[in-house]
Amino acid sequence: MNKELTDKYDVIIGLEIHIQTNTKSKMFCSCPTGYFQKQPNTHVCPVCLGLPGALPVPNKRAIELCILMGLATNCNIANEIYFDRKHYFYPDLPKGYQISQYKDPICSDGYVEISNGQKVAIERIHQEEDVAKSTHHTEGSTGKEYTLVDYNKSSVPLIEIVTKPNITSAKDAKDYATKIRQIARYLNISDADMEKGQMRCEPNISIQEKGKWEYKDGKILPIGEYKLNPKVEVKNIGSITAVEKAIEYEVERMSAELEDGEEIKQQTRGWNAAKGITEFQRYKESADDYRYMPEPDIPVIDISKEDIERIRKEIVELPNEKIKRYMQDWDITEYAADVISSTKESAEYFEKLQKKLSESMNEKDSAKEASNWIMGPLYAIANKQGKEIADIGVNGDDLAKLIVAFKEDVFTKNKAEELLNQSIEKGLNITDEIEKLKSAKESVGSLDNIVKQVIDENTQAVTDYKSGKEASIGFLVGKVMQLTHGTANPNDVRNTLIEELKK
Amino acid sequence: MKIDVKHIAKLSRISLTDEELKKFTPQMEGILESASVLQEVNTDGVKPMKGHIKLEEVREDISGECLTQEEVLKNAKYKEAGCVKVYGKVFGENQES
Repeated sequence: MNKELTDKYDVIIGLEIHIQTNTKSKMFCSCPTGYFQKQPNTHVCPVCLGLPGALPVPNKRAIELCILMGLATNCNIANEIYFDRKHYFYPDLPKGYQISQYKDPICSDGYVEISNGQKVAIERIHQEEDVAKSTHHTEGSTGKEYTLVDYNKSSVPLIEIVTKPNITSAKDAKDYATKIRQIARYLNISDADMEKGQMRCEPNISIQEKGKWEYKDGKILPIGEYKLNPKVEVKNIGSITAVEKAIEYEVERMSAELEDGEEIKQQTRGWNAAKGITEFQRYKESADDYRYMPEPDIPVIDISKEDIERIRKEIVELPNEKIKRYMQDWDITEYAADVISSTKESAEYFEKLQKKLSESMNEKDSAKEASNWIMGPLYAIANKQGKEIADIGVNGDDLAKLIVAFKEDVFTKNKAEELLNQSIEKGLNITDEIEKLKSAKESVGSLDNIVKQVIDENTQAVTDYKSGKEASIGFLVGKVMQLTHGTANPNDVRNTLIEELKK
Repeated sequence: MKIDVKHIAKLSRISLTDEELKKFTPQMEGILESASVLQEVNTDGVKPMKGHIKLEEVREDISGECLTQEEVLKNAKYKEAGCVKVYGKVFGENQES
């Protein structure tokens, strides 16, 4: 929105995120979950096919993962789990209802802290089952429309995370989605790959005139006579960046409509990534009547305090905490801390490297070195290879040795990076190379002696330099570098030569 | 006790003629009316009776046998590309497509 509009309207966003959780079997049957790119209808049984008489049997691990997500997001955990039936008709819903949770979600009233310090409030996290995969086509010969249904995905465990409507910008929404995905990956709750449909984001967006609304008890309420603009739901968002883009587009579209004097109608729209626009899908004049009822085929599942404490043990230090700790304890910049902690693997790599380095230097220096080398040379290599830093083939212990040797002046930064690249490309053994260079340096003797030796052996160049030919110093530097097998610092060499030649 | 039978029928995808609507409405309302005698019982502080199991008793996450694709499609009226084929334009609620 341009400044005029941002001065007039506030943006209100609520985000619903569905995550497929990492279990071996489905939510209500033992069919294996790994269906991605498998033949259609090969991970199906009478239960997930919704055949008459088939009964659902809940998956313990799925429930534990839902509780784990709730614990990681500071939610209250219910001590009884109730499932409900949500009824509607669609080819991808074999039973004609989805087993979900309506009245009593497992987790409630949590929050996630995003980068700007705001705590995004989570209304609820509940357990449900995924639906089948349906694709729509038109028959070439008859022009008839039809749908093809693959039930492999039917009944895969899903957790649904719903925020209260207290996100106020597209950027914050993207940030929140990123944090949720990080938590899911850090705790092995889900791989949360949006391209594979393992994580889905659906924002609900409305714009309201400034000063005419308030946020109270998790709800948006009008002030005085103001009539709230309805919200719009956006579906089919396939990536984290699209979360921000789709919301920005929708805010522009809605504000343009309002400025044109049109009324916004509550509706569902679909994000078209190729065109970068949202497209109308259907109006939502009234709340859908899903005829929720308690699921009679599943008993109430009791969660004890011991269960919760057992599950809580799976919580590891999460990115937000790592960022704070890296900054506080080690003076790492917020930017570097954020990048390093973005995945569990890179954070572990950094922490191991720091620990190894701290055998040779103090805590802060070791952290600083580790951070600099990861953010610089390692990320450069990782980006070129298109891999994660933990996967580029640089052993952390070897890198530590390299860094220590560099700090001890065994070789220059350039040489160190060269060794790094060669260890990856040619399988060069870093430890061996360091030993070679160390002994080469020691056998060569001190720099002063080498400089004196070169001066003695290259009288013509010395004479040229002394009579004003500046370029000869370069020749002499080269000779010294040769004798030190390239381990000396060229600037040191140059300075030492100049000093010595003055005498 | 009023029931919007037309609305309920639509949610169940059951089409009723005007005659059926006229006939069923008082019948259905009558049934609910007689069942409503239950409201006379004071159930304050009484939890619904429902079987409970402990989390540790819930099914372990172990994968098992599935049907073959052929078995899954056995009763499908139409099939294509290993999928169940459903003719018609699909409207309404779709969670994910």
